[in-house]
Amino acid sequence: MYGWTGKLLHVDLTSGTCERREIPTEILHAYLGGRGLGVRLMRDYFRLDPFDPQMPLIFAVGPLCGTNSPTAARLACVSRSPLTGTIYDCSAGGRFAWRLKGAGLDVVFVTGKSATPVVLAIDGDRAEILAAGELWGKGVKETVAALKGRGSVTAIGPAGENGVLFANIMMGEGNSIGRGGLGAVMGGKLLKAVTVQGEGVTGVADRERFDAARADVMRLFRASPVIFGELGIAEYGTPALVDLMAQRRMAPTENFKSTFFAQSANYSGPAIRKECGAKKEGCYGCPIQCKKASAKGEPLPEYETVNHFGALNGISDLHAIVRANTLCNELGLDTISAAATLSAFGEARGRFPDPVEVDRLLTDMAFRRGDGELLCQGSRRVAEALGKPGLSMSVKSLELPAYDPRGAYGMALAYVTSNRGGCHLRAYPISHEILRKPVPTDRFSFSGKARIIKIAEDVNAAVDSLVACKFAFFGATLEEYGELLSAVTGVEYGPESLKAIGERIYLTERFYNCANGFSMKDDLLPERFYSEPGSAGEGIEIPPLDRARFQEELQKYYRIRGLSPDGTFDDASLLEKLP
Amino acid sequence: MRDQIDKYIGKLLADRSAIPGAIAIAAQDDVLIAQGSPELAKLAGDTLSRLNSLALVAARPSLPFAEFLIARAGKGETFILPQDTETRTFLHDIPFLRREDLAGDPAPELARLLGSRKGVIVEGVGIIAVGAITVEQAFINYSSVFHSTFVKYLQDLLTDGFKLPGEREAFESFRKQWLKPLSAEGLEFVDAISLDKEEILLEIERVGRYTVERGLVDSFFGNISACAGDLIYISQTAASLDELKGCIDPVPTDNSSTTGITASSELLAHRKIFEETGARVILHGHPKFAVIMSMLCDKKKECAIKDCWKECPHVRDLGGTPVVAGEIGAGGLAKRVPPVIGASGSAIVYGHGVFTLGRDGFGEAFRTMVEVENFCREEYFRLLKA
Repeated sequence: MYGWTGKLLHVDLTSGTCERREIPTEILHAYLGGRGLGVRLMRDYFRLDPFDPQMPLIFAVGPLCGTNSPTAARLACVSRSPLTGTIYDCSAGGRFAWRLKGAGLDVVFVTGKSATPVVLAIDGDRAEILAAGELWGKGVKETVAALKGRGSVTAIGPAGENGVLFANIMMGEGNSIGRGGLGAVMGGKLLKAVTVQGEGVTGVADRERFDAARADVMRLFRASPVIFGELGIAEYGTPALVDLMAQRRMAPTENFKSTFFAQSANYSGPAIRKECGAKKEGCYGCPIQCKKASAKGEPLPEYETVNHFGALNGISDLHAIVRANTLCNELGLDTISAAATLSAFGEARGRFPDPVEVDRLLTDMAFRRGDGELLCQGSRRVAEALGKPGLSMSVKSLELPAYDPRGAYGMALAYVTSNRGGCHLRAYPISHEILRKPVPTDRFSFSGKARIIKIAEDVNAAVDSLVACKFAFFGATLEEYGELLSAVTGVEYGPESLKAIGERIYLTERFYNCANGFSMKDDLLPERFYSEPGSAGEGIEIPPLDRARFQEELQKYYRIRGLSPDGTFDDASLLEKLP
Repeated sequence: MRDQIDKYIGKLLADRSAIPGAIAIAAQDDVLIAQGSPELAKLAGDTLSRLNSLALVAARPSLPFAEFLIARAGKGETFILPQDTETRTFLHDIPFLRREDLAGDPAPELARLLGSRKGVIVEGVGIIAVGAITVEQAFINYSSVFHSTFVKYLQDLLTDGFKLPGEREAFESFRKQWLKPLSAEGLEFVDAISLDKEEILLEIERVGRYTVERGLVDSFFGNISACAGDLIYISQTAASLDELKGCIDPVPTDNSSTTGITASSELLAHRKIFEETGARVILHGHPKFAVIMSMLCDKKKECAIKDCWKECPHVRDLGGTPVVAGEIGAGGLAKRVPPVIGASGSAIVYGHGVFTLGRDGFGEAFRTMVEVENFCREEYFRLLKA
């Protein structure tokens, strides 16, 4: 078999066993890998509580991983989120995925719960469960350093150990499996870290075809101003978006009360380069290298992080923002949810935290002490506990990232249709509404957006299953990636067949969520967006969203998806009809 | 959605790339809409309903070149492979269906082909192009296929001559009736552009419209900029040159802001040209005869370089305009054009298009582009006759 290894490592932490199992070929062909494969493997488990010992935590790579397909050295981690209650996946880069594939595995399926803290160590064909010893309680950096002799490391910090609902799993190179709290799921299993060493080579079915497809992808990267343009993400990382979002008047500010922060230039891409000596870093084998690190090698914050520790909390000090990012990485906290939770907390009590207080509160969150005992539950629970539920700027309990939905109507719709809650990356309409890729759409119009969002969700579900980076699609399309995939696997794929796979994955996720009680009542934006305008300026008005028009488009979306007007499934046997 | 369909049917008529009465566009939101010529509209709707995409254009091109390319293709061939930059970068190849492949309902086969490519040519029917997320995208893909088949057919004629019955006559008709004289006559330009933002924006918008109205470029292809002190005003990526209002980015010359991340992919080339030449404005388009002529090289047989479009280190000449190789965006064009464009005020990029300069305003840049394209047009017909 080319592309895939066809092997899954089944790890039962309760019994302390590790066993290699076969993955049926038809499942690999139908779900590819990463998100899709992980979601498929959740079919027998999706109703379990996220902290049930039997709840799987799945790490899955894709068929392109291990080849020099651009941006494909990634994996997806899949489980059920303790923050949102939805099915959950997150894509992450680094070297870990590459080495996992090199160890001959497509999937690591972790179930059960250890009696004592452990580390799962994979080295080629061997896998063993080791006592974590004194690592439990340690920060991420120290944990990674202690395990670096064992290859690539993914680990949780104190936040994951203590069950913070938005705890990350941190990749050793500074990337993270973020947002939905899968670090807490890992911590609940008393699994401190997974290490992996592998040198195997991924077979490519048609090398000549592969080289041609790769050249096509690279040509499109070079033609994309967002990727390799002199103001693009290869140069400045995602903070390249700071200036743009300010100009477009859609940078969430002070818990989304406004959409423009006058001091945002303090933490723009050029400012970070100047102040922090930002240099290029990135995922293994990725030509874009959008991650940025300081001269000392410290990972620098992404766009979402600078905005949320900046504008969202009214903080303009770049160095304070960088410090908060570093602290989150060390504690294993998701930066978006942590900052947004602080912002909701700040508005509820009438004062946003200053930089010193941010540091203290982040630490308290991770160790669940003082205010941290409440804050560690995320903004929805915080706002409800404080009697101001409207102040949680979240969808399905997932805090919204740094694109105000009043400034991009496709984004508004995509926040509520996302299967993992208020996330920008499921349909990623910023790509066309703001960045004009592949073509521009009118950000202040709902026209056509239901169909566009549906298509984009399907595309991105396929992308997350390849597993490729979404940034690649600011230049390339599924046309070129389908060609890469066909060349690697020897199985024919094209944009339409990949979108069909994406649709299958999306519907499976939605089905899981609906079975767990989700419906239209959860496809809800915070009230603020319908009643308060954003910040006008430079000739741009940011009015409140038109609720009737929004609902009309949501109903269109349900019809296009084949869902009932309540956003649920009429056909209870959907899963039985899928591979 | 209907307003979008009307708009792009109008554009296909205005740019004369499709035959009136033989145009249809289908689009699907929660319902499928198909408008235009009834037969083509049915085909468009039937095909689009099988695709996970938003829009589809089905139209008979106003020139028979795509048909001729199919007829001239060898038995067993299923696609054409134009060598121009647009195709190489965005389309890769263009599949086609012959008449004999069309037995029964063609929609499933069309959907299969469009499942992997942006556009298809169907013998006896026309060009079918899909737009994944917008009607505009389907129009752009139609336009790209039209552009590519135009360029390839005329290129092939130079090497292989006329082969088919009626081909020569059709070509003569194209030359005498379809091709219009290209000139800048009657157009108004600001002689010396000031530093005033509003004036610059209005002038860029106006010149963008001129390029499309005069048939100098297809509506989507190209970019325009003006340098004003510490700012470069440049058209945005994926902006139609005839609709630039609100689609021009002011970019600081010192890169102190990244607002221009949405600027044209050729921003780097524009910036370096301004630095090298001191010009005030730059016009870049893909006029077809310049694209065709730029790919002609009498040294191809003996040259070791095969990827001429990106690897050729030589500066060739077309009527006093230098011709260089280089991929778009960060791919090399930005290195090779700036050093050569200053002397003549124009440069052609292999298989891609033309850059022209205006020392004071767009009049000079526009007229120079007209001259370059007219020279290439005349030179093409001279070569064909020879």
